[in-house]
Amino acid sequence: MLRSVLIAFWRSFTRHPLYGGLNLLGLSLGIAVFIALSLLVRFETGYETWSPERAKIYTVGTRYFFPGMTDEVRIGGMGGLTEELKASYPQLVTVRDWSNPVTVHKGSEVYSEQIELVDPEFLTFFGMPMRAGDAATALNDPGSVVISEEKARKYFGTVDAVGKTLTLSDAEGRKPYVVSAVIRDLPENSDLKSGLLRRLTPQRTAMETDTWHHWGSVQLWAFLKFDTPAQAHALQAQLDAFTDRQVGNNFGPGVKGSSLMKLVLVPLADVHLIDPKQKAAIVTLGLVGVVALVLALINYVNLATARAGLRAREVAVRKTLGARPSALRLQFLGEALLTLLLAFIVGLSLVELTLPLINAAGGLSLALDYTKDGIWLAGLLGVVLLAGLVAALYPAFALSAFKPAQVLASSRTPAGGRLGMRLREGLVILQFAAVVMAFTLMLGFIKQIEHIQSADLGFKRDGLLLVNSIRDVNINAAQREGFQAAVRALPNVTAVSIANAIPGDQNTVNNSNIVLPGQRDKLTESPTVNWSVVGPGYFDLIGIKLLAGRYFDPRFAEDQTWVGDKAEPGRVTNVVVSRLTVQRLGFKTPQAAVGQTARFSDHTVRIVGVVEDARFYHPSEPIPAKLYMFDAHVAYAAVGFVRYAGVSESVMRERLRKVWRQVAPDVPFEVTSAYENLDKYYKPERDRSNLFGVGAGVAALIGCIGLYGMAAFNTSRRAREIGLRKVLGASRGQVVRLLTLQFLRPVLIASVIAWPLAWLALGQWLSQFDDAIGISPLFFLIATAAALAIALGTVGGLALSSASTEPGKALRHQ
Amino acid sequence: MIELQNVSRLYRSDEIETTALHNINLTIRQGEFVAIMGPSGCGKSTLLNTLGTIDRPTSGAYLFNGVDLAKLSEAKLAQHRARHLGFIFQSFNLVDDLTIYENIELGLLYRQGQKGSRRQAIETAMDRVGIAHRARHFPHQLSGGQQQRAAIARAIVGNPDLILADEPTGNLDTENGAQVMDILKGLNASGATIIMVTHSPSHADQASRRVDILDGQLVASVAQML
Repeated sequence: MLRSVLIAFWRSFTRHPLYGGLNLLGLSLGIAVFIALSLLVRFETGYETWSPERAKIYTVGTRYFFPGMTDEVRIGGMGGLTEELKASYPQLVTVRDWSNPVTVHKGSEVYSEQIELVDPEFLTFFGMPMRAGDAATALNDPGSVVISEEKARKYFGTVDAVGKTLTLSDAEGRKPYVVSAVIRDLPENSDLKSGLLRRLTPQRTAMETDTWHHWGSVQLWAFLKFDTPAQAHALQAQLDAFTDRQVGNNFGPGVKGSSLMKLVLVPLADVHLIDPKQKAAIVTLGLVGVVALVLALINYVNLATARAGLRAREVAVRKTLGARPSALRLQFLGEALLTLLLAFIVGLSLVELTLPLINAAGGLSLALDYTKDGIWLAGLLGVVLLAGLVAALYPAFALSAFKPAQVLASSRTPAGGRLGMRLREGLVILQFAAVVMAFTLMLGFIKQIEHIQSADLGFKRDGLLLVNSIRDVNINAAQREGFQAAVRALPNVTAVSIANAIPGDQNTVNNSNIVLPGQRDKLTESPTVNWSVVGPGYFDLIGIKLLAGRYFDPRFAEDQTWVGDKAEPGRVTNVVVSRLTVQRLGFKTPQAAVGQTARFSDHTVRIVGVVEDARFYHPSEPIPAKLYMFDAHVAYAAVGFVRYAGVSESVMRERLRKVWRQVAPDVPFEVTSAYENLDKYYKPERDRSNLFGVGAGVAALIGCIGLYGMAAFNTSRRAREIGLRKVLGASRGQVVRLLTLQFLRPVLIASVIAWPLAWLALGQWLSQFDDAIGISPLFFLIATAAALAIALGTVGGLALSSASTEPGKALRHQ
Repeated sequence: MIELQNVSRLYRSDEIETTALHNINLTIRQGEFVAIMGPSGCGKSTLLNTLGTIDRPTSGAYLFNGVDLAKLSEAKLAQHRARHLGFIFQSFNLVDDLTIYENIELGLLYRQGQKGSRRQAIETAMDRVGIAHRARHFPHQLSGGQQQRAAIARAIVGNPDLILADEPTGNLDTENGAQVMDILKGLNASGATIIMVTHSPSHADQASRRVDILDGQLVASVAQML
């Protein structure tokens, strides 16, 4: 029996290369998409699996309920959160991770890095894989630093770095630190990939007295460990009461802490995909993988049942020779199993070959490691074989059910009956519905991504460089001013400013509420504004339009903010607000707001100007209501803005670097363009759209293969009929029309099914964007036209060649 | 060996009821060579298919060595065909994708308790019909006569008790037809029971008995002197 299965399998390729090839190609492509997207899903859902403690660890997340702000969970909490938690719940096991910028000195070179300021138990808490050093004690000494293998190679040229010294500058000044341990590099899918770690000391936290216990701030990541999920649930149940207790009257008299913010325990495994939009994107891509596999299996069933007709005679002969239906089913399932196995191998090879391309298209770093991924791959193979065998049951049963006497008596190839025909047509409709839907969605994705990348953001993003290194803790006021003055003198520079209202940069985001005279000052009721401090010439430079009043002017003493200074009591500070703030405050026009005063952050402010709204952040985030303050010498979290014209970006960057080198040689130079900064919001959308496009393209290809197989089978079955029609006087064109129209019907029906589904899915996807395009009927028409063109192209050639056959030859056809 | 008692076969479609066989009573003894004759559509092939158990009688009994086959399950009938029957068809019905050797091997594939070497049995069968030199060829590479000889080899490879031949010479020229008849006669001479449907009176004359059918009914059963 096994030999018989092997022979039939082998001959299906050597004797029917077209059928065998199409069948294998369709299956392999579907399996390849399934494997590739399973890899993606595994990567995205496998964050922190390196930690043996993953299941026990939770992170603190915070949800805010401020008017005008979204209430999604943000990972992190205020600096002093774990201290306050442990005061109430001494049994808690916690560690903190506060990521800070740091400068590494290597000879005269300086490098910008992030350093994790952590509790000494951090390494053992996570079970961090150690290369050298003792995890339990490595972080005890505040003069020690723990580094990753990658950083060890970067700074010492070897992973044997324990005992060596690294000079770092940060808020605590420039000091040498001794490397006490080297940790192994964590896998790509980790949000805890830390290159440098140091102990978070009480001296360091003392420098943050203003903000450390500021309820409502998000400063660091706090981790908790529980032996059982029940313990985590028990604490979660008490966190609202805890927040109310600890916040007290900090949010205003009579305002319960939990009415404005909630602390949430997020399992470590869920942290990476905490953003529901991101999670939905991954689930969608996973679904695309499953759909591709299903389409490929549909193909398989279609081609197998179509060919079943051609094999009917073989079945009849085998039956007359005493084959039982069960033996025949086993034979056909055996053949299916071998085909699936081969397709899996080909699919896996396709993935291996195209993985660099997939990674490039999707901005990913997926990899297959057969030593580690063997079990996972075996699992995938199991899924494919199981799904494949279920799919193969129908053709196996259909084939084994042929009645030998009828088959042998007829000269015509059986088509599997009306049910078989209906089933095949239904499956082709299903495939093309998926294709039309995928095309429609692709068009929508492309248009929306084009839109967000080219939409008017309310400011001019071209020719704008942002010098981030200005906000380094080691940069003093003289250096800030000196750099700006020197840049102003550079050729091609048209404007220079400094501000912490930065396009595409959410490192420092401040929100407070604003209250008009006579209104109740309550955090739960008065509008929230996002506030920034800007330097001279900021609005002119960035190109945010003035709607009423005036921009800031250093000549007006009241324009100067109190932030960073001790303001004299009773002083009124001038501010500029955005159109949205004016609306939220209830003014009818921007003009009406000018000259009005309000309470803001315990100070009185007067609106002197109203500017247009500007979209600085993610296109899915609503534009915040904005309040700008002015500082002639901004220091707080501000970056340098350089507007230039008439020269390439790279030349401009180089000129800025040279100036920086002279002004601040000890601080690494860091510059980005506004484009680059904003692109990090667009890139994930683009990447996912690319991946979806690859999946949809392959799905369309599978659909074509299926349609071609069906058409080939059908035309060969109807060869005699075609010959007869020609004998009776049918022209070539009439025959071609007859054969192709038959296949256009399923495509049109598929479109009717796909349109509403695509409309719903596209609407759902677009709803995540604050600035979304409208759904155009053209998307649907173009998608259907493309599907029709594909179908015509696929079937037309076959129909033409069949219609061109001489009738005599066709009539002799058996 | 075979006894048909009042065997009838009706075909029903939505509107029409056709009687293919009507109250057939027929006894065939071991070692007989029976030729069934009659005009097209008279029920010859239905009778042969019924004898071959790939069609079931609507009523009546079919005794094979005393066992009523009409009452057996599909699986038992399949077993019966594998053990006792060999089929030869007008259009050969070789499996296109299998070589001649593999086609002949099919005749053994579904037999349980096959004794001795399979290869030897196949080679013997090929030698008997003179097709051994074509073992590795595919059916379409052979002439009609060669294909039919291969089909005969497949029918006899398992040494069946009964060979059913449905117009075995219908698609062959005179010379090849004569060769096939010679082989069948040889098989009969060595003990095989053969039932053959044919349109050719001269081929029918070479059988030991001739059965005539008309409109689904047996009209004559005549023993012939060879």
